[in-house]
Amino acid sequence: MASPLEHELKQLIIETLELEDTTPEDIDPDEPLFVEGLGLDSIDALELGLALQKTYGIQLEAESEEARRHFASLRSLAALVEARRNA
Amino acid sequence: MTPPPLILQDWRAWWPGQARPDESRLSGEERPAGKAVPAMLRRRLNLPGRAVSDMLDALDPEANRVLVHASRHGDGERTLQMLEALTDGQPVSPARFGLSVHNAILGVHSIASSNRRSQQALAASGAELAALFSEARGYLAAGERSVVVVFSDAPVPARFRGTDTPEVELAAVAMRLGTDAGRVITPEPLASSTAPCRAPQPTDVIRWLLGEAPLGCPGRRLSWRLAP
Repeated sequence: MASPLEHELKQLIIETLELEDTTPEDIDPDEPLFVEGLGLDSIDALELGLALQKTYGIQLEAESEEARRHFASLRSLAALVEARRNA
Repeated sequence: MTPPPLILQDWRAWWPGQARPDESRLSGEERPAGKAVPAMLRRRLNLPGRAVSDMLDALDPEANRVLVHASRHGDGERTLQMLEALTDGQPVSPARFGLSVHNAILGVHSIASSNRRSQQALAASGAELAALFSEARGYLAAGERSVVVVFSDAPVPARFRGTDTPEVELAAVAMRLGTDAGRVITPEPLASSTAPCRAPQPTDVIRWLLGEAPLGCPGRRLSWRLAP
């Protein structure tokens, strides 16, 4: 069961990246977001980074190992937003 | 030396709401399917882009021909949205930037189709069709067996339109051109007695292909005759 924040992030991903024919239920929180799993690419990573900045005020270095870790799955992305909210 | 003839081998067109009952090469769909491109790439194409991808897939199914795409205005909407974001102090969307460039449609199509041949995007201030025919002649003279040329356009956003900006109709047309096996295209000087005509748009080319209207380019003082 997705948490409210995970559901919110699913909606953000679908709307920001214009994922046609994809519903929140199609996104497995533990599957990779990029290449495999959801199949996002490097332009999506930049677009998603921008959306995180606009929506939650989170800024990540595009090439950093930290960004790779946070973008690994929806679950890890939700953990990042949660942690920054509580910081 | 006489240049080789320019021959129309086949064509496809998209003109929303303007399908003809006896002409399957013209699509009148309001929203082209874009089935030639996987969904994860298709989401980035605008409507002309989706139509163009499907037309290229029909005219170049082996994905091994040179492709030339002309558009007078390109994707004005995406470009304006980026400029507006910059004006508001907002960061520019990377996807919007990537897809606003003039060769974006051919770029996405080439990724989807694995066509690694030469692909060219051009704008020619209203002489796009003349430029497409010139480019095609060049490639054919250099030994290509056929070339696919595409002409698409979309209305210029109202907030960017000047008082003398001509009305642009949403449409796209693609032609496979070669030196044999089809209908000969013959360029002729535009007769001085010809009624004034506008710079040709994709819809004018479609009417010409359908045999509904002649086709001329006032900027180049040229017209084109299509053999029956």
